[in-house]
Amino acid sequence: MKKVYAKEELCLNCRLCEVYCKTAHSQSKDIIKANKFESPEPVSRVTVCGDKMLSAAVNCRHCDSPKCVEACITGAMQKDKKTGIVWVDEDKCIGCMTCLAVCPFGCIKTGKFAVKCDLCRTEDEPACVKNCPNRALVYADLGGGE
Amino acid sequence: MSINYIPRRFTVVRDKELCINCGCCVRQCSNECHYFADDGKTALVNSNACVACHRCVDMCPTGALRIEKYVCDYRENANWTPQYQQEICRQAATGGVLLSGMGTPKPYPIYWDKILLNASQVTNPSIDPLREPMEIRTILGRKPEKITVEKKGKSTVDMPPQVILETPIMFSAMSFGSISLNAQKSLAMAAKNLGTLFNTGEGGLHPDLRDYTDCAIVQVASGRFGVHKDYLQNSRFIEIKIGQGAKPGIGGHLPGEKVNVEVSNARMIPEGSDAISPAPHHDIYSIEDLRQLIWSLKQATHNEKPVSVKIAAVHNVAAIASGCARAGADIIAIDGFRGGTGAAPTRIRDNVGIPIELALAAADQRLRDEGIRSSISLVAAGSFRCSADIVKAIALGADACYCASAPLIAMGCHMCQTCNTGKCNWGIATQRPELVKRLNPDIMHERVENLINAWNHEIKEIMGGMGINSVDSLRGNRLMLRGIGLTEKELEILGIKHAGE
Amino acid sequence: MMNYVIAGASAAGLACAEQIRKEDKDGRIILLTKEEYLPYSRPSISYYLKGKVTEKDMCLRKPSYYKSIGIEIVTGAEVTAIDRKKKTVRAGRKTYHYDKLCLCTGSKPFVPPMKNTEGKENALTFLDLASTKELKKKANKDTRAVVIGAGLIGMKAAEGLSKICKSVDVAELSERVLPSILDAKSSKSVKSYIETEGHINFHLGDTVTEAKSTGNRITSVVLKSGKELPCDLLVLAVGVRPETSLAEKAGIEVNRGIITDPGTMQTSDSDIYAAGDCAVSVDMLDGSKKIIALWVNAVRQGKAAGSQMAGGEGVTGGTFAVNAIDFYGMRICTCGLINAAGEKYSDRVIQQGDSYKRLIFEENRLVGFVLINASENAGIYTNLIENKTDVTALHGDILGTPSLMWFDKETRKSRLKGESA
Repeated sequence: MKKVYAKEELCLNCRLCEVYCKTAHSQSKDIIKANKFESPEPVSRVTVCGDKMLSAAVNCRHCDSPKCVEACITGAMQKDKKTGIVWVDEDKCIGCMTCLAVCPFGCIKTGKFAVKCDLCRTEDEPACVKNCPNRALVYADLGGGE
Repeated sequence: MSINYIPRRFTVVRDKELCINCGCCVRQCSNECHYFADDGKTALVNSNACVACHRCVDMCPTGALRIEKYVCDYRENANWTPQYQQEICRQAATGGVLLSGMGTPKPYPIYWDKILLNASQVTNPSIDPLREPMEIRTILGRKPEKITVEKKGKSTVDMPPQVILETPIMFSAMSFGSISLNAQKSLAMAAKNLGTLFNTGEGGLHPDLRDYTDCAIVQVASGRFGVHKDYLQNSRFIEIKIGQGAKPGIGGHLPGEKVNVEVSNARMIPEGSDAISPAPHHDIYSIEDLRQLIWSLKQATHNEKPVSVKIAAVHNVAAIASGCARAGADIIAIDGFRGGTGAAPTRIRDNVGIPIELALAAADQRLRDEGIRSSISLVAAGSFRCSADIVKAIALGADACYCASAPLIAMGCHMCQTCNTGKCNWGIATQRPELVKRLNPDIMHERVENLINAWNHEIKEIMGGMGINSVDSLRGNRLMLRGIGLTEKELEILGIKHAGE
Repeated sequence: MMNYVIAGASAAGLACAEQIRKEDKDGRIILLTKEEYLPYSRPSISYYLKGKVTEKDMCLRKPSYYKSIGIEIVTGAEVTAIDRKKKTVRAGRKTYHYDKLCLCTGSKPFVPPMKNTEGKENALTFLDLASTKELKKKANKDTRAVVIGAGLIGMKAAEGLSKICKSVDVAELSERVLPSILDAKSSKSVKSYIETEGHINFHLGDTVTEAKSTGNRITSVVLKSGKELPCDLLVLAVGVRPETSLAEKAGIEVNRGIITDPGTMQTSDSDIYAAGDCAVSVDMLDGSKKIIALWVNAVRQGKAAGSQMAGGEGVTGGTFAVNAIDFYGMRICTCGLINAAGEKYSDRVIQQGDSYKRLIFEENRLVGFVLINASENAGIYTNLIENKTDVTALHGDILGTPSLMWFDKETRKSRLKGESA
């Protein structure tokens, strides 16, 4: 399945991926409103870790055998059988963050519920990939992966 | 603590309504103009170090930033302009030679803007480049006096080595060291895809670019950096650099800030030390010496590659060109005074040399007068800003044109003229790894190719408008040009008539 | 065609059944549960008490799911006997034949010795949906509740009740709140936070010894210290013990929990497996045998057992405790050996405002952590523990926010691609 892969040799640490992810997952979908006025503040699902010398955008790997799904005590975290996307059913999620405590990549964020990348729920390019100014993020099927 | 005797140049203006405090500007500015307030959330700016490179402006996701010239009025003085006053203050502070990057910004006359092109009307009708074949292929190299063919049409003449270009535009010399490897790679990839060549300058050909040797022009400059047999073999043709338009009479200058481990290895000089090439070649003090070197290079490459001589456009450029042609050069490149550079003393950049338009016309005419024009190819350099400039250059007599600043602008250069500091925010004129990785060759080679393809198309359109379908028919065709607002002398040197004649 | 029978349909049982079906497309899978409910999220009962989730939300799978993948699920079917010779189990009036059997009987609440609490209508345990529903029915704004036990279960009960009841008192034998997952220092700050936010009264180092009642209703309780508290609702949440009576009766080796091979979950009977709270786990961090009564553990063990039963080669991988829980907005995340003592263990602490981070090391390996309001990217720490990574090889401050950039280039590249170990 197509996933988002980060290339550390091209990452500029500009963090525009975070800005656009936040906007894409906001109520208003408007970059000014999402970042300045919305409450609760939308959360970016992708995080750039590192600094200007070495950085890469980390987001959910949508693993084949997801540890978060295994650890989820309510069954809210599940892997869609068709698309392969690992997603959170917010009705079931109780926000305990056990998933966060087992994800080896540090992809899950804290919010009212567990917050993580959902590949923008689209077959097209996710917002982070589309807006990366240096093509440091690719959306491709590279096979393999947990 | 001493005060700044000069005000800053620019002000970075942030529109608070648009700013979302994402911090992209803070992380991107290599001059550290932007920073966060103590709360870690509000972006602030100190404009003192701003060089107007526009990196923050272009990266800002909401377009909240703009750069303004900081206007701090001096008392009006046409002689002691603020510029001259400020340069004195800088020299008083540092005791050093003023250095600048890119070509001279001084308002000398730009002759391209005073030359007009012809178009067909009734006779010799226009040609539509979208429907009819247009030839912009250019062949550089020494041409024989005449061609004889035998019965079956095969030539009996031993042709000297030729270089076939798919376009009359080549990429001018920019060394690895003055620009980053990623920038050079982008040019190399673009040159390969466009069917033209790029020039490695004095820095040699980096091992990562070994796939592009067929597109590379390698330079033998006064420092002789890296010149050995393999270096010469790994090229398409060889260029002896006598001078450079931006700084005629002096040698290359790579500031220590840009000499990192890789550059140090490529040039075999200590890391962090300035790389200053001497002005003269240690073995060239006369035209005969030049001839000797040209023949040595041809021998070393089994006469398979043309040898070019690059000279700066100075007062006797026509005579020098003639001498070079007689010394055996196959190609002569003339670099006008508006040419760019990574670092040059400001005074030399702004005051030495002559415009390429005049130099080209003079050299071309001189070679014709001496009957040796066809023996060599003339390449013009020294600031071509658009396809019309190129058409005019070809009409004045150029076989091909060298472009450097233009592809750099395509790759993000905003002409902030601080290349010598090595902090280029666009990853072009720097060796800092965190800046170099900003230039992704996969993206940039596409942009450069787009630019040259666009210009190629425009050249065809303009030629088609003139009723010409081959660049050979444009070459040296001064009748296609008319001057406007030029003096008699200027028209005479350019060899063109005035508009209306 | 193989017959698989699984006794117990919570985390371990369901994981076991699903894994069997993954590896054996034809076998008959019978999943028996004594509860009246289809498999549901047991840990969510505290949130059900709080009103955060509904019964429907707690359901682990849609009702139609089991039939769709060929799992025969039978509710209200408590397995009462195993006949190992005949290879059958008895549940209610039915007998089921098995080729492979998995015991996922889970935990039973531990009831400490007390006088006069048995059979009282307002003394309840808090371990499954049925008892939670009872609790919710009996609690109202006039209720004065007393919870015995300040462990994970007790605290969750107390938190839920504090939102409904007039008052909540918690009695705990140990000197600490959440003794199994917090260290001394963090326990103190958590206690004061919960006291302030939840208006809960703690009685540490104390427990209920006797209840006073009127008829069938408890009206007050007496603590070991002599204190007497008015009580309208008594919640027994001291802890759990593995439910092993079935295994014991059948002669399978039991020592506190059902003894199993820690990788394959096979018991002393080669056709019988055990997984989850009822089985003994081996803590990979110090080799000790203990009951690790955690959801994720049960799932992993269930999966491994299922794979082995179907002839596969799945094993549990290492087992250790991971806990993530929150009280009134305070986030607690702990893992591994938290209260390890001994020369070979060292620790590092960082405290900033209301956030607390303590990392426990054995020589150059991370073996445990306690995070209070500092759980960003905690999974990376967990992974360091699981992989027994040499932390001296990491680039960066281990007390800072965990980051993939800590690792060397090769590891980084493989992580960014999605390969974790």
